[in-house]
Amino acid sequence: MKQFFLATLLAANMIPALHAADQPAPAPPMPKVKIGEMAPDFTLTDQNGTKISLDQYKGKKNVALAFYVFAFTGG
Amino acid sequence: MQAFQQNLSKLEAADTQVLGVSMDSPFSNKAWAEKIGVTFPLLSDWGGDVTKEYGLYNPKYKAARRATFVIDKDGKVTDIKLDAEAIDPTKTVEACQAKKLNR
Repeated sequence: MKQFFLATLLAANMIPALHAADQPAPAPPMPKVKIGEMAPDFTLTDQNGTKISLDQYKGKKNVALAFYVFAFTGG
Repeated sequence: MQAFQQNLSKLEAADTQVLGVSMDSPFSNKAWAEKIGVTFPLLSDWGGDVTKEYGLYNPKYKAARRATFVIDKDGKVTDIKLDAEAIDPTKTVEACQAKKLNR
């Protein structure tokens, strides 16, 4: 009886998990900035504490702006 | 970012400045840059304002989607790579080299 009770509890607990797994994963975000558009300027701090703006490269260099997910991960 | 570091001389030869961006703190970025030997700027978008403005904020991870933009000298976006294509910079390098040839 005790085993049956435990099994029922376990089964009941699994139902919400199964439902959650059925839900489609949310679509990944799509870039708002498109090819041919001006890249929005920003000023951010680098690993050495230096403030860097996108605008400082205007007229001088192309920029490869690489967004990554987390430090200490691949890519 | 390791792959961009390996391709840095090619990108520099194509008149291209590499900038990494994430929502990590500058302290995390400093520790990571030292660990993997990254010499280009890793920018801290703490709070995610820039990530959101570019449309890359992924609420699932509370972090940016992997994406690489090529921005020309006029400030215009000329190329976008997402996910796996953004991790491997080969196509970004080619886009930058092609830009150089066109000028």
